[in-house]
Amino acid sequence: MEFLSALDLIYFVLVLSGTLIGIIFGAIPGMTATMAVAVCLPLTYALDLNHGLALLLGLYVGGISGGLVPAILLNIPGTPSSITTTFDGFPMTQKGEGERALKIGIVSSLFGGLFSAAVLFFFAPLLADFAIKFSFVEKFLIIFLALTVIASLSSNLLMGLFSALIGIWLSLIGTYSVEHGGNGDTRLMFGFMQEYLYDGFSLLPVLIGLFGVAHILEEAEKGIHEATKDMQLSLQKGARFSVGVFRNQKINLIRSSFLGTFIGLLPGVGGSAASVLSYTQEKNFSKHPERMGKGAPEGVIASEAANNGLTGGALIPLLSLGIPGDSTTAVLIGAFTLQGIQVGPLFIGENVATWNTMMVGLVAANFMMFLVMFFAIKYIAKVVMVPKYVLYPIIMMMCVVGAYAINYGVMFDVWTLLLFGVGGYLASKFGIEVAPLVIGFILGGQAEVYFVKSLESFGTLTIFFTKSPIAMVLWVFIFISIGFSIYQAVKARRLKQAGKGEEA
Amino acid sequence: MEISDLFQVSIDFSQSHLFFPRIIHWLLLIMALMILLFEGIPYLREVRSGRKSLPFTTGSFDSKRVFGTLLLTILYFVSMPYVGELFPNTGLGFLLMSIPYMFALSVLYLHQHDRAHLLRVGLNALIAPVVAWYILAKLFAITLP
Repeated sequence: MEFLSALDLIYFVLVLSGTLIGIIFGAIPGMTATMAVAVCLPLTYALDLNHGLALLLGLYVGGISGGLVPAILLNIPGTPSSITTTFDGFPMTQKGEGERALKIGIVSSLFGGLFSAAVLFFFAPLLADFAIKFSFVEKFLIIFLALTVIASLSSNLLMGLFSALIGIWLSLIGTYSVEHGGNGDTRLMFGFMQEYLYDGFSLLPVLIGLFGVAHILEEAEKGIHEATKDMQLSLQKGARFSVGVFRNQKINLIRSSFLGTFIGLLPGVGGSAASVLSYTQEKNFSKHPERMGKGAPEGVIASEAANNGLTGGALIPLLSLGIPGDSTTAVLIGAFTLQGIQVGPLFIGENVATWNTMMVGLVAANFMMFLVMFFAIKYIAKVVMVPKYVLYPIIMMMCVVGAYAINYGVMFDVWTLLLFGVGGYLASKFGIEVAPLVIGFILGGQAEVYFVKSLESFGTLTIFFTKSPIAMVLWVFIFISIGFSIYQAVKARRLKQAGKGEEA
Repeated sequence: MEISDLFQVSIDFSQSHLFFPRIIHWLLLIMALMILLFEGIPYLREVRSGRKSLPFTTGSFDSKRVFGTLLLTILYFVSMPYVGELFPNTGLGFLLMSIPYMFALSVLYLHQHDRAHLLRVGLNALIAPVVAWYILAKLFAITLP
């Protein structure tokens, strides 16, 4: 019970503050959990690992949960994953059941979060034990699989793969590190850039730029209109909340939490996929599908259980394989590196105390999220109205702090922030997707080492197919994921052509 | 020659830093061509027939706020280390430059420039950096410009 010593009062205070800040970020439309974690990172620089994690886990859980507030009250999804919450949540508000809808959403969120935490607790160590046996060949294939899965689940397979490749390319800029058996030469840059880019771009400024600055530029383009202006928050009492509403929803709750956890497990797939999937499943299985979309509590339950199920799910590949499950966990990887911890198959075994504290933190964050939101929802709902012209300058300032302090005061990191902010903003115009790009950027360096070292030691490309049964199974998965996306693309094209045929 | 010889690869250590990047370059090129073929050309055809439009040409592009944000941010980044050097290791460069930057950015984003709004913006620009600076630089001893 070594880990108990890390659980002091400050630990729980940090979980609580993280959760609170996260909820606020989640509740403000246009700000996401990823942004919350990225912007608040500098606060963890001064904390030790356990305390830093306490804050970050709180931010993560809070940020994912907060999105339901504007989704239900104003019909604006606070985070992408709460899109489906608006379908039934807002009609409930219109019927005067706003508070009831919020509380249903909060309870479902708690259930989804705890369910996924349990899956994480039992499943991540198993996966890690299995992955410890991997050689460089299997590790490379795992990364390759992760990237094909991301690409095949992004909206366009070609663009998804292209984005991931750009991410890998960006990660290769700098030195081929001697530390990992490279020759220490720099590549992909001109001589004058060596001074700044010897170690390549730092991960966190890149992430903060892509998720913080790029977002503000996108909003600036639209003219920073206050979406919530002239809107009225109505919490007037219609039907009161009672636990009875969950009586017939046990299967829905479990199925949605499971789907959320499972989607979270797949690398790079955002929360919206999870909630959309479980919402449609609920609609398919519902006895009254016609009620869905008109203020049916089961819709809110499906959506919210799924998007909180993501949290534990996305942490599974992160903690067992070192591969982030979504963009928020990508930022978490940066926070781990900052504390000098390499996440991967060895992480749990070598850091049992940290792992246990993390689990306590995750469960505590879910309960605190529940308590804060359930009892203070009326006050939190007001946050939705905070104007953007006040918020965005604060975000920009916090981005700068995060980028500058990460390497103890390198101004180039601040410029990296702007470079990637503008780059991410422009790239999204051309259909390049940020999630695959970021995951490519995080995994690119490792992919290179595993690939080149495998070839150096075996001298033949066939080794990637014949190394072990695991390698062959991984290839099967890779082909399935590519095949699936080609099937999807062909189906979409047929539908489109059929649609055109009808028009004519 | 056996078929397995086709897959033989030997990597010259002194050039090994270029091996993987070269593969990525080829893949990027292949993907770019495929995108041009499967996405780009159909897209341009739709643009020509008027069904779709090029990026940046649709909707409202608020150039004042986009370029204003960029300009202010560049000024902010350039000025911060300069002012910071006047007061080394205090983080005052950050504090002193954040206040005008935040104020200017808020004013740029505002749609109504009446007194109440300006007052709120001014207070925010004053309080937020001071609080951030105090917590981070003073309490947590985090390096700031």
